[in-house]
Amino acid sequence: MGCASALQMAEGSMKSIVLDQGDLGQGASGVNAGTLSLQIKRVKLMPYAIRGHQEWESMGDAVGFRKTGGYTLAFTDHEAELLHERMSLKAEAGAPIEFVSNSVLTKAEPHLADRVVAASYCAEDGYANSSLTGQFYRARLKQQGVQHREGFKVLGIEACNDGYVIRSASTTVRARKLLLSTGAWLKSLAALMDVDLPLQARINTVSVTQRLPMLTRSVIGHATGLLTMKQKANGTLLIGGGWQGRGTPEQGRGQVDARSLRSNLALARHVLPAIENAQILRSWTGFEANVPDFYPLAGKLPGYEDVFILGCVRGGYTIGPYIGKLMGDYILERKTELPLFDPGRNFVEVLA
Amino acid sequence: MFKLAPNHQNDIVRTSKVSFTFDGKSLLAHEGESLAAALIRAKLLHLSDAPADGAPRGVFCCMGLCQECVVQVGGKTIESCRLPVSQDLQVISLRR
Amino acid sequence: MITDTDIAVIGAGPAGCNAALIAAEYDFSVVMLDEQASPGGQVWREKSPAILHAPETPESVAGESIRNAISQSNVSHLSGVRVWHIERSIDAFIIHYESAGVSISLNCRCLIIATGAREYVQPIPGWTLPGVVGMAGATSIFKQDLIPMGSKMVVSGTGPLAFFVAAEQQRLGGKVAAVLTSNTFLDWMKALPAMILRPGLLFRGLRWITALYVNRIPIYWGHTVTRVEGECSVSRVEFKKIGKDWSPQGEPSFIDCDCVSLGGGLISAFESFQLAGISLEHRRDLGGWIPKAEQDGRTNVGGCFVCGDGAGIRGSLAAQTHGKLAGLSAVVFLGAEINHPIDELRREHTRAASFGEAMSKLSIPRPGLSKLTTAQTVVCRCEGITRAEIEDEINLGAQSMTSVKSGVRAGMGPCGGKFCQTAITEFIAKAKSCPVSEIVPPTARPPLRPVSVNTLAGDFDYSDLPISKPSPL
Repeated sequence: MGCASALQMAEGSMKSIVLDQGDLGQGASGVNAGTLSLQIKRVKLMPYAIRGHQEWESMGDAVGFRKTGGYTLAFTDHEAELLHERMSLKAEAGAPIEFVSNSVLTKAEPHLADRVVAASYCAEDGYANSSLTGQFYRARLKQQGVQHREGFKVLGIEACNDGYVIRSASTTVRARKLLLSTGAWLKSLAALMDVDLPLQARINTVSVTQRLPMLTRSVIGHATGLLTMKQKANGTLLIGGGWQGRGTPEQGRGQVDARSLRSNLALARHVLPAIENAQILRSWTGFEANVPDFYPLAGKLPGYEDVFILGCVRGGYTIGPYIGKLMGDYILERKTELPLFDPGRNFVEVLA
Repeated sequence: MFKLAPNHQNDIVRTSKVSFTFDGKSLLAHEGESLAAALIRAKLLHLSDAPADGAPRGVFCCMGLCQECVVQVGGKTIESCRLPVSQDLQVISLRR
Repeated sequence: MITDTDIAVIGAGPAGCNAALIAAEYDFSVVMLDEQASPGGQVWREKSPAILHAPETPESVAGESIRNAISQSNVSHLSGVRVWHIERSIDAFIIHYESAGVSISLNCRCLIIATGAREYVQPIPGWTLPGVVGMAGATSIFKQDLIPMGSKMVVSGTGPLAFFVAAEQQRLGGKVAAVLTSNTFLDWMKALPAMILRPGLLFRGLRWITALYVNRIPIYWGHTVTRVEGECSVSRVEFKKIGKDWSPQGEPSFIDCDCVSLGGGLISAFESFQLAGISLEHRRDLGGWIPKAEQDGRTNVGGCFVCGDGAGIRGSLAAQTHGKLAGLSAVVFLGAEINHPIDELRREHTRAASFGEAMSKLSIPRPGLSKLTTAQTVVCRCEGITRAEIEDEINLGAQSMTSVKSGVRAGMGPCGGKFCQTAITEFIAKAKSCPVSEIVPPTARPPLRPVSVNTLAGDFDYSDLPISKPSPL
């Protein structure tokens, strides 16, 4: 998100420097499962998600973008009810989601377990290779002449006469304006500016298998959201679903929780029985931050005129490249194509 | 007698041989020896193909780490350096 | 089935066994987990069940001794199991391991990690050909299956292992075409003071070398294999003299062979330490990345101790004493009074380590070593990524192992970077003109070994799925 904003600002001739405590794109995007599915986006965020998909599509091969189409599956009557209710609302919000019969599903995805009670499909769904995020933006930043520093951990931010001084262990950077886009690390970063954000971080687990013969061509989801599966062109299968690991952003990377992992994989096997003997090569976690109403923080940092904040998007991987552009426009004081989300709002959780 | 460079090849007593198959080819090995050893003795060194360029691969680290000697037995993947040969073991290689 | 224990020891090599044995002398439950069917680790690896009788070797004797000790002790030895994850909770550790296709969890109050070492092989053209094996790898097959590898072997590497491999290849009925060692006579002379402290080992080594001369097997001091050639498997090697900095020089020579054993020293298998939350440090003289630890095995993680080659390549003799020290540290941590002479053990460890450390020094990489890896050499074996592709990524701005991995997939294959990470780290350090110690290993990710979905998923009942609140709409 930070990179996308910086690139947009560069287009408006505003000079910026991107600082990351680690490697570019590795804080969250690079460890994401890479799912681009409108079916798992919030209703109000659908317009943003649709444009997010368009951004990823324009990034194309450089990020391994594939529009495969995606299915969401229900295995019980309760799940089918949930599926119908939620997907209908998302379709109304603009996502091209339709319900499909079992025979259509079986024809498209013959290896899925034949226990499906209901299924929805979205032709716009697909995935990108999340690992390539950093490489992609590094190249774009260089191309647009935007400076960046990796391994720059911000230890302090002080106001000075013409803006701010940002301090790492070994060096400082001066800037007139700041954009805080550190995802799960926004809470501690905002704290450096005496702002307390009601931010929480989930620890989502992703696993990858060895290379397998092609078993599925679409992105597979579950009515409860507890499973995402996609098989890449090289045959490896990525399994996610938001199963929780352990840890906090302040501790660094999260830990994989074995029990959680096992349930995640059990569900994957239930849906795609052919993977039972597949070897899991690696499991990892990534942080996903949110605020109490699960809508983005995108606007001015409360109490500041020239410090901005962008994060906690909910579907941040998908929407990030787009909302980053909006943020860039906002900082350039242009009108944004879609409204942003005031970080100073009253975070009363609205029940669906 | 002190031998500077002893050759103990003939002083080793092994179990009797059993037959197993490797990609359908019938082979003999001493019961209980590692599949890797049996294949090395049979000069079957090409066990898998590299994913990127399809180049031949075989036993490398001999201790279950490199994953290049993996084979399939009963649908399950296992390193041949860690798999003891038994009578009628049916091994499928990952060669394309 | 054991689900809880006071002390868990991962690794049944000289260090792990000694740690387990000494801890079991006190009133604590000790479980020792190991991948192999019997204790012994790599250095004292037991013969396979196919071997009914074979002449003794110093390693087989030591191995039998430790195996007997374990079987007569109160140590619960879980053999043939693969630890795939280590989790930490408030005051305990949970070890997740696979046993016969099933995943089992073991809780322990104290954890001793003795996972040992693996070898480092500098990537060279043709190193991926069938018939190329590691030197430590060759000794594994020698010890376990007692067969020669190939009918004509070229050995090329550093340290004493090169001579051991050549000696064993011959002893088991195979031929050695040549031994190439990166080390020179001078390197070995520098190690002499330490070697004199272990006359038995010194004599054994001299015997190996003499036997090579007597059998007219050429030893090329200060030479190394630069290319392995063959169609479907090894048919010959190209080799060259190397300079003081290990850069290849001069005209190539060739040797026909069907097996090549390569080795550039041992490195710690440090992934387990990372999962346990132990900080690492880089020690070139001890094999690279090792856990930050005291001599008695204590680490920054309370209740977690390390010992053996995994904690720094100091050899098997030092590993035995190191295991005792770590075992006693665990016992002390659990509140018992010990009646073993710690100070004496520390001195013993220091003495024993001096030999191992002198041997390790022979394998410390020198600047020219990296030149053996040409631009087109495959570095990441699993994914077939060449040095050129990796350096392109570095030139595009990738500054860490994680970045390189993400960009070009090097290190993302089944071996998890075990055989490419070290070389890639050197490339990054060179590009950034910084010490290797600044290019930290990426976050360790379980499983420690590939595990099947069935093993991890176990018996799953769909109704067990948590019916959580649906995510916000």
